[in-house]
Amino acid sequence: MAAAVSLPGEQTGFDQSVRLGALNVTRRFGALVANDDITFRAERGKVHAIVGGNGAGKSTLMRILQGMDRPDQGVVVVDGLPAVFLGPADAFACGIGMVHQEFMLVPGLTLLENLVLAHEPVDAIGRIDKAKAREEAQRLERLAGVKLDWDTPEQDAPVHVRQIVEILRLLYRGADVLILDEPTAVLAPAQVKQLIALLRKLSADGRTILFISHKLEEVLAVADQITVIRNGKVVGSLPREEATKAKLAEMMIGEILSWPTARAGTAGRPVLEISGLSASGKRGHAGLSAFDLTVRAGEIVGIAGVAGNGQDELAAAITGLGRVDSGAIWLDGKNISTLTLRERRALGLSYLSPDRAAEGLCLAAPIAENAIAGHHRRPDLSTRGILRRRAIARHVGSLLDRYSVRRASDWLPAASLSGGNQQRVAVARELDGNPKFLLACQPTRGVDIRGIAFIHQCLLDFRDRGGAVLLISEELEELIGLSDRIVVVYGGRITGEVARGSARLDEIGRLMLGGSNA
Amino acid sequence: MIDNIIHAAIVMTTPLLLAAIGGLVNRVGGLVNIGLDAMMLAGALAGLIVASQSGSWLAALIAAGLIGALIGLMMSLTVTRLEANEIIVGLGFNVAIAGLVRFFLKSAYGSSGTLNLPDVARLPHFDIPVIADIPILGALVSGHDPLTWAAWLMVPATAWFLARTRTGLRLRAAGAGPQAARALGLNPLTLRDASTVFAGFMAGLAGAYLSIGVVGIFNEGITAGRGFIALAAFYFGRNRPWPTALCALLFGLFDAFQIRLQGRGVPAELVQTLPYVMVILVLTVMALAVRRKRAKGT
Amino acid sequence: MTDSSATSRFLSALRWQDAAAALAPLLLALLVAALVLGLAGHNPLEVYRLLAVESFGGQKRIAATLAAATPLMLTGLATAVAFRAGVFNVGVEGCVFVGGLAAAYVGFAWAGLPGVVLLPAAIITSVVIGALWMLVPGLLKARLDVDEVVTTLMLNFIAISLTAYLVNGPLLAPGSANSATPMIDAAARLPKLLPPSTLNAGFLIALALLLLYAWWGSRTALGFETRMAGLNARFATASGIDVPMLVIKMMMLSGAIGGLAGGIHALGAVGRFVAGFSPGYGFTGIAVALLGRGSALGIFLAAVLFGALTTSGATIQLFSDVPIEIVNILQGMVMIFAVARFGWIFGKRRAAR
Repeated sequence: MAAAVSLPGEQTGFDQSVRLGALNVTRRFGALVANDDITFRAERGKVHAIVGGNGAGKSTLMRILQGMDRPDQGVVVVDGLPAVFLGPADAFACGIGMVHQEFMLVPGLTLLENLVLAHEPVDAIGRIDKAKAREEAQRLERLAGVKLDWDTPEQDAPVHVRQIVEILRLLYRGADVLILDEPTAVLAPAQVKQLIALLRKLSADGRTILFISHKLEEVLAVADQITVIRNGKVVGSLPREEATKAKLAEMMIGEILSWPTARAGTAGRPVLEISGLSASGKRGHAGLSAFDLTVRAGEIVGIAGVAGNGQDELAAAITGLGRVDSGAIWLDGKNISTLTLRERRALGLSYLSPDRAAEGLCLAAPIAENAIAGHHRRPDLSTRGILRRRAIARHVGSLLDRYSVRRASDWLPAASLSGGNQQRVAVARELDGNPKFLLACQPTRGVDIRGIAFIHQCLLDFRDRGGAVLLISEELEELIGLSDRIVVVYGGRITGEVARGSARLDEIGRLMLGGSNA
Repeated sequence: MIDNIIHAAIVMTTPLLLAAIGGLVNRVGGLVNIGLDAMMLAGALAGLIVASQSGSWLAALIAAGLIGALIGLMMSLTVTRLEANEIIVGLGFNVAIAGLVRFFLKSAYGSSGTLNLPDVARLPHFDIPVIADIPILGALVSGHDPLTWAAWLMVPATAWFLARTRTGLRLRAAGAGPQAARALGLNPLTLRDASTVFAGFMAGLAGAYLSIGVVGIFNEGITAGRGFIALAAFYFGRNRPWPTALCALLFGLFDAFQIRLQGRGVPAELVQTLPYVMVILVLTVMALAVRRKRAKGT
Repeated sequence: MTDSSATSRFLSALRWQDAAAALAPLLLALLVAALVLGLAGHNPLEVYRLLAVESFGGQKRIAATLAAATPLMLTGLATAVAFRAGVFNVGVEGCVFVGGLAAAYVGFAWAGLPGVVLLPAAIITSVVIGALWMLVPGLLKARLDVDEVVTTLMLNFIAISLTAYLVNGPLLAPGSANSATPMIDAAARLPKLLPPSTLNAGFLIALALLLLYAWWGSRTALGFETRMAGLNARFATASGIDVPMLVIKMMMLSGAIGGLAGGIHALGAVGRFVAGFSPGYGFTGIAVALLGRGSALGIFLAAVLFGALTTSGATIQLFSDVPIEIVNILQGMVMIFAVARFGWIFGKRRAAR
């Protein structure tokens, strides 16, 4: 514990039973306040859940608790006393260990080797003492109430086994506070139950668990105390006995301050039709099963759902970038199921990527080239494979002016733009040339407020021109503000549909958690 | 006749085996060593010079190993600390070291390409009584030099080192999961550097074997691309010591055959392509297997 | 307005950094080579001065320099074309061998045909063979994600041994003891530009291709797509570009240019194919492409630089006792320093790890 510097004379007002906590922790990134005056206390021997939606500030808080980041104001509290971590090693010295979403195990090594790596029991000549390692492994097995085949190579072990190894490794190395970041994201339902049982057992033995999640059922099943954060602030903290799903959902989602001002659209002929679509998901995720959906001209259809409930697979199926097991997709009456993305784009499909830096833009290339990519073979921009430079320059100039992209020159790298302006370039490109259908995924992720309003207006204008939009977003506010209909997905299936005007938050929240339309 | 071929094959295998084991350990540590050939070349020259000056083959081997290790260290630091691409750096070292060796030959000995020194201490050969007279087994085991025996002893030693020792485990972690290793407080870059130094040492020994073990003179083409054949051996052996050693033996056998088959209608040049063709084939088969697994799985 | 002045400052800083980044590997290599020369008892400055005079002092020497630069312009271009698509082709050396032999074969086997038929036929054959030689690694990379670095490296040795077999056996010149094909027909020779220098029409072809490459890279849809695929393959895919197909195409284009390098070397400089045909033109091409940072002008300048080193290195060896191998040392060092500091193409590969 020598690594943690305690600040003498400072009082936290927390007593000794608080194994890990935060006191008025604030962390800013530029104008963004990721953590705003966060205070919570995780008691020794309890499972404490931290709940919040995407962008609520959970991961920033985790990084701070784990010593990977430091708060601008406030302190981390260990055993009731303030502590300063200069790095993860300091946090670990206080017994705080973290199970990451991406497991930190090494492929090619057996599970036993992974368990002891960097803390190997050895004999006099530097040989690993396998018997001792196995003994340790068996002690941990008993402690956790599991049974593992320790000689399996890491890459052959199922994902839930790897997760258990990761947890046991922290125990092996002496941690008694375990931070788990969205640990169930990679697990099937039966394995979630196993994990919950394991965590309950560990906490009953006196260990402290910090469980980060946005899945309310699991939180209610595992936690003793639940703290909800939203927009970087603590909304409230309540013991398990007082919590209900509805109450938590309301705290998580909050009140919507600005109700939609958009006029209703007038839906025309069907543009995108999906029938019986099934696709397997990544790592045992639900994927999509027997999915039906129609998006009409002049209509924005929103897809609401907790992340990982089939949205990614749906987008991949519509663009053709992912594999589909069965079902068909029609665009404007033409079956596009087997076409490449290029062919789909030629038929009027447009795709706004959720990952701006990696897929939506080529940050190293000039802004102008980002603005024409995909359109560059259009007759007004090139003739028989030769780019028409002057036409392109004119076109890009007027296009980016129309979308008010603030830039010094069209030929600077896209990386020189602010996040909001980058997204405007992507939106400008995808709406250019009047596509029939736009698949917009997280269109305002990481965009400033003015940019959000502008992009929303672009989507509404496109709809009013007769465009069809499928909007996949994790921002409920955005979905309610823009969509003419909201389709709610859970586990790769549609659990319900809500029309504009009748969209009630509590109902959407209930559908997002797997309830059905009443 | 068959004894002769076996004996020749063992001789041709030794340099391949030494370099392949070094390269294998290096690749396990996370660095594909394209520079083995350069390290062999430098080792061959240093070995010959020291063998002539000191009259001791042991001193020659040590000098050859050290010069290889030094080149390995420089190469590794360029890759791990200056974040350079290992392939380009490896090729660059091959070009530069080959140039440096010939530059040195001309500057110091005024000779172009070949160096023939007096009083070179050659590697001794030992016959094992009784076994030497047994057909085949005799040719396999007896009548070889210490370096050959050492090379073959290195195979189980390497297997044991990688599988059972703490350093071996950490080296494997540094190669296969550097981020995880770093998160656990290990230093994967230093481990990687150490493995490259080891590879350089082994390649240097391999070079010395060619100059003071086989012919007793140095020639600028003495390695004949054996650094790359060693590369092929550990690629084909998929980083496991015994398969790699057997592959080196197979290539050594090709080498021995090809010398005998010259002028008998079997073109030596085509036999020379076999190691490289085999690497492409094994990579293709592995990729197909991965694809089949992926199609079947998730 | 502060915005635009900040940008112009950014731009000028960028240019300064670009220039420094382009020259730094060369300067570092010269420094190391100077050290080697100094240790060997030569005055490095004097040697470098002599090298400069021997390569550019007078028409004859410039012609020799450009003749030596010709194959390097092409192998540098071949490497750069693949790099641009994000493919790491180190197999151009092999293409030089197979392309060279193919052109020489047509040149002697079809002797008697008029030059207007024979010469283009020989050149086209070298191009086609070079492209086909890179088809397998291209397919393996695009369809099975097999590391192209290893496959192309291995193909170099296969090409060298295979061609050596052919010139020692089936294609050996009758009555010849050394490994060489018969001389090609005079009609198949590329015309010399400044006799007696070996500078020939191949230089003009290489120059034209470099200009074409500059135009292709900035003005054509395919060049645009290639650059996008090389800079960000996921983005290119999302824009509707068929990246795997592009990888195959660029790999074959790279092979075609490498084959052409061999063809021009056979038809212009050597007049036949001999074992050990290329003294590493393909590998030097990697250094040329890296030093030239993938731009047409950069490739030209880097090729001329290495060409100059080769020719002047050969002559100063005659006049002073500085071994020509100082050129190889420089070349290897340039390769190492070019990637050590400024991984212009490799940022992505590193990040992937």
